[in-house]
Amino acid sequence: MGSEGDWALDLSHVAKTYRGGVQALRGIEMRVHRGEVFGLLGPNGAGKSTLIKILMTVIRPTKCVGTMLGERVGNKAALAHVGYLPEQHQFPSYLTARQLMHYVGAMSKTPRTERIRRTEQLLELVDMTDWADKKLGSFSKGMRQRVGLAQALINDPDLVLLDEPTDGVDPVGRRDIRNIVSRLKSQGKTIFLNSHLLSELEMVCDRVAILLRGQVRLQGTMGELIDRRAGYRIRLDPGDDVDVARACVRAVVPGEVALEDSTLCLATADARAVQPAIDALRRQGFTIAHCAVHKPTLEDLFLEAVVDPETGEPMHVGAEAKGRRG
Amino acid sequence: MLTQTWAMLVDAYRELCAKRLFWISLILSGVVVAAFAMVGINEQGFEILWFDLPMSTFNTKVLPRATFYEWIFSAFGIGLWLTWAAAILALVTTAGFFPNLIEAGSIEVHLSKPISRTRIFLTRYFTGLLFVTLQVAVFSVASFFVLGLRGGVWQPTVLLAIPIVVLFFSYLYSVCVLLGVWTRSTIAALLLTILFWFVVFIMNTADAAFISVRESAEAKVARTERSLARLESGARDLLIEQKRAAGEDVPESWEPADEELIKSMPLIETRRAELAEDRKSVETWTKVTRSIFIAKTVLPKTGETIELLNRYLFDQTERDTLLRVFTGQATAEDIDEDAQRELEANRGVQEAYNSRSLGWIIGTSLAFEAVMMALAGFIFVRRDY
Repeated sequence: MGSEGDWALDLSHVAKTYRGGVQALRGIEMRVHRGEVFGLLGPNGAGKSTLIKILMTVIRPTKCVGTMLGERVGNKAALAHVGYLPEQHQFPSYLTARQLMHYVGAMSKTPRTERIRRTEQLLELVDMTDWADKKLGSFSKGMRQRVGLAQALINDPDLVLLDEPTDGVDPVGRRDIRNIVSRLKSQGKTIFLNSHLLSELEMVCDRVAILLRGQVRLQGTMGELIDRRAGYRIRLDPGDDVDVARACVRAVVPGEVALEDSTLCLATADARAVQPAIDALRRQGFTIAHCAVHKPTLEDLFLEAVVDPETGEPMHVGAEAKGRRG
Repeated sequence: MLTQTWAMLVDAYRELCAKRLFWISLILSGVVVAAFAMVGINEQGFEILWFDLPMSTFNTKVLPRATFYEWIFSAFGIGLWLTWAAAILALVTTAGFFPNLIEAGSIEVHLSKPISRTRIFLTRYFTGLLFVTLQVAVFSVASFFVLGLRGGVWQPTVLLAIPIVVLFFSYLYSVCVLLGVWTRSTIAALLLTILFWFVVFIMNTADAAFISVRESAEAKVARTERSLARLESGARDLLIEQKRAAGEDVPESWEPADEELIKSMPLIETRRAELAEDRKSVETWTKVTRSIFIAKTVLPKTGETIELLNRYLFDQTERDTLLRVFTGQATAEDIDEDAQRELEANRGVQEAYNSRSLGWIIGTSLAFEAVMMALAGFIFVRRDY
């Protein structure tokens, strides 16, 4: 474990109970390394936006122990080094893109000369140079999102929090945003992403956390989370008796063997460990149509995480009233 | 620190410039000043551009040109335009300042910056007042030149309208801010502020009306006392005369018994009853006006604050002249008793208003504003967005 300064975010016991007893967050523990792209996932109402808003001092936490860029969460001075793109932002429609950049830069205490220089650079980065002097009111959702991303970077932040950055953006725009995130990472910036587009996150995130009902359900690097759940899939001929095949495999391979139609799902991704299973199946006369290692996608992880282990049903509603069982 | 404050000021200015109402108000202000410059007064009467409207009761013989222009500025420019029409336009324009700021998606941009909520709140509040300051400044400076060029009087006191009207607006704006922060709705903030303003207006109107009634009642008591004294003196003289005629030696210092007085002049009893009733009436109206005064102490003094301008703009002679002109007594050889009474009642109201200290008018109004702002600030700073 690194020292405090090595973490862009180091949170423990972050809780928020709204008036009326709704518990949005119930003791979040989360660490984000400096220089990594961190993805925050969760179903609607899981508490993702509440967590980001607490970090941005938009919401006051009921309890919060933690640091952001080495400073206590809530410390206003630290926000000078943080960039933020809010979800469903409403930038003033009477401002031009350039004026917005200057306004946000000034509010972040960025010196004027620096603001001028970075405004040009960033508008070019998001491909909005031609629209720099047009009013935001005339922009499409995607264009506003591009400018929103640019304004989040005006103060050359060390940590960038992007809440649904690809919301309303077309595929080309999403690719551009992904490229910008990668570029920021290469510059040593820490990116904290909240998105519903799991495939987007999968492409850019180093680590993810899945939030459910105000708690971190799953957290780790993409490698850790995916490799741990990787396993061989053996597809049999549709005419084969899969239950008998499953019993054969269970006898020779350790771990659970699941069944998906005519496919046997093994819990191991070790090629040597799966050989006895293939031998046993062939000995019993089963026809192996396909055999390969299956790596779960982020969506698979997400769906797995949001399933209630007791009922097997997805738990959609995140926040709950105080006192109710989670 | 200054960078952020300046940025918020510039942003508020841009927001204002983007609002059509801001420009409409400014254009209307120009129209009002132009109308102000069009009217005049001469020896024959009233003039509009190059047309003369002869009026025997309204000309420079009864009202000096400078006083006329100052009156036009005070009564129409300030009294009607700036404190009613322009103030309503200003409220409509600025009512959305806070609800727009705390709208989801907008407030995050501000709160996520290295600036305290208190500073955001106060800066936003003062930028809201910028609207009225700009409007009033343009109007007052233009009026100052009209007054100088048309009336021949270069009166810098006119510029006092800027702080006075801004102060007046700030009382209402503080209510609007509290309601805006509380309800998050521009419409609710605007309508409830106008309702509040209406309540204050009703209080002011009732205050002026009841003071006028009290002053009339006091004047009536004074008149009845004088009439009663005359009756009693007459009755006494009559009794002395009668006694002396009957051969009695009555010294000059002799005072008749009350029964004797009433017996000789029964009207005395009627007058005394009237006087007692009038005194009771004065007592009642004094209580009513005192109650209104106490109630007004906790409210913003919108009317009195605007009246302050007249206090500084006109001296006592000018005030009397205006009072006489507008009660139609300026040219009458002999002012009749009723007109005199009206004049006295009006003067009484004016004196009652003028006797109210600056500390009471501005101090208590600012205290009200501070309470509104403290409540609004508390909600703004403590709320989760």
